[in-house]
Amino acid sequence: MDKILSKKAFSQWVKMLQSFRIYAPLRDDDIWTYEVVKLPEHIDLDFLTTALSPKKIIFPQKEVFLEFRKTNEDAPEIKEVLPEEDPTIIFGVRPCDAKALTLTDKVFGGDFDDIYYWKRRNHTILVGLACNTPPSPNCFCLSVDGSPHSTDGLDILMTDLGDRYYVESLSKKGDELLNLGKSLFTQPKSTDKKDKDKIQAESRKKIKRQIKDLKKVPPKLMGMWGSPFWDEEAMSCLRCGICTYMCPTCHCFDINDEILSRAPLKGRRVRTWDNCQFPDFTMHSSGHNPRPDKSSRLRQRIMHKFQYFVECYQDYQCTGCGRCISKCPVGIDIIEVLEKVRDYGS
Amino acid sequence: MDHNTYLPRLAKIIHIKEEVSGTRPIKTFRAQFLQENGFSYRCGQCAMLSVFGKGESMISISSSPLVNDYLQFSILKMGRVTSALHEMQVDDIIGIRGPYGNSFPIEKWKGKNLIFIGGGIGLAPIWSVLNTALGKKQDYGKLTLFYGARTSNDLVFKEELEELRQDLTVHLSIDVEEPEWNDYVGFVPLNVLDKKPSPKNAISITCGPPIMIKFVIQNLQALGFKDEQIFTTVENKMKCGIGKCGRCNIGLHYVCKDGPVYSWAELKNLPQEY
Repeated sequence: MDKILSKKAFSQWVKMLQSFRIYAPLRDDDIWTYEVVKLPEHIDLDFLTTALSPKKIIFPQKEVFLEFRKTNEDAPEIKEVLPEEDPTIIFGVRPCDAKALTLTDKVFGGDFDDIYYWKRRNHTILVGLACNTPPSPNCFCLSVDGSPHSTDGLDILMTDLGDRYYVESLSKKGDELLNLGKSLFTQPKSTDKKDKDKIQAESRKKIKRQIKDLKKVPPKLMGMWGSPFWDEEAMSCLRCGICTYMCPTCHCFDINDEILSRAPLKGRRVRTWDNCQFPDFTMHSSGHNPRPDKSSRLRQRIMHKFQYFVECYQDYQCTGCGRCISKCPVGIDIIEVLEKVRDYGS
Repeated sequence: MDHNTYLPRLAKIIHIKEEVSGTRPIKTFRAQFLQENGFSYRCGQCAMLSVFGKGESMISISSSPLVNDYLQFSILKMGRVTSALHEMQVDDIIGIRGPYGNSFPIEKWKGKNLIFIGGGIGLAPIWSVLNTALGKKQDYGKLTLFYGARTSNDLVFKEELEELRQDLTVHLSIDVEEPEWNDYVGFVPLNVLDKKPSPKNAISITCGPPIMIKFVIQNLQALGFKDEQIFTTVENKMKCGIGKCGRCNIGLHYVCKDGPVYSWAELKNLPQEY
């Protein structure tokens, strides 16, 4: 279902969706983050790459799995804590970040469903915004089978046509949202369609960064396991982990018990994001560490995204958002690393 | 989708045995679920044990699935959770979730001679499959156990091993000479080389420290064992148990889900990340 929505009518549409919890990128100083929207007028869809992707809404940085309590000599009481299943809409989802959720879906699904992830995921509607101009100078979605107007994972894709949005519904959930704002939408004219196609074609040309022949990388990586390449590439790494912390596709986590009171014992088991760039991540309690240095951990990050994941799911575990490049304090650039892998030995 | 795999079920410790004392203590625990459990497992699988307030630790199940009324774990005191477990008493409550991982393909081993090779706490996963084979002795050929530790004090299941000598050939070893020690002195891989088990119609199952496993495999190969006849278990740090938290992988295998049991034919093709 394709529709046209004038920009003036956008906040009215959002108002009609007040039965949902609504997230959108909000600006705090020079940082954009997805936050709960209180006033629809506050939504400004003219935004640069957000600090974190909307992954944090589905798979929060910290969440409680269960609560435990023990009084006297009794058995501990365990209370399962499941996420609220509030119907949620996220506005302004970039196509790369929506695609990223289709990748975390594969991880949190499969042989064992992760109930905490799916309780939120199944109740969330993703309204995307095509990137007419790249929101970051390091965008490279075209190189990883994405595009600035890809619909993967989205329920609705909006394209900015200047004074109006071209709104494409891509799912039943998307249709429902359009129906809720029925009176505000008009049928697209053939000129609207033409304008959209023109803007989308131009948007591709504006993406400056790319990796040619990325498909040569996965088969090459296995043969580079023991190569000094990884030492050289990881030399400047500070082990800060920002690359994976910012990544919309990274899913690694830790589970720990937090004590709220010792006597009587009261606490909770929490899941928090974890990071393959930290030594503790893989260190055995004996002190033995299968990935003991920066180079083995950088190798893990690259291998996971561009070899193991490709082998398991036939997709790169990277959507080209460019966050890891922009935020790395020492300028480790995943595009450059991949280009070197591609050209290694030739 | 409504099943929550992260939710442990409560179990009562019904029996604790101190196996090894000293600086690397090992205790064997038996636990029973407070409620009817439906927890069915296979030899070689692991369970995630909880000490509430301390956290979780992945431990291999050392009891045989033929035993119905308890789960057994032999645990080396090492980190936060295992230290807390070592403080626990009979009737204390722990959490258990699982079972996790693959298992020894014992159905395929019917009619074969089984050679178990364990080092230190590595006897725990072997114990499950060894006792299963003993319980169905008619299904298998000759059973042999090589087992060693640093000192005689570090050997687990000592009394049980003496009783088992009637049912299987036991070759014990310790790393350095001790008075009144009548068995082999030297590392486990050397004991294997010394006793020369025949590869004919045999399967070997090796668990122990990585360095021991490495040399046992070399020596088994020298004795003519093929890669498909050599089985071992791998351990890595784990948190989720279901291949999602991302830390226990060796290459594209998650040890918690795709392991911990590997034949050498499989493991030799994976990167050495364990």
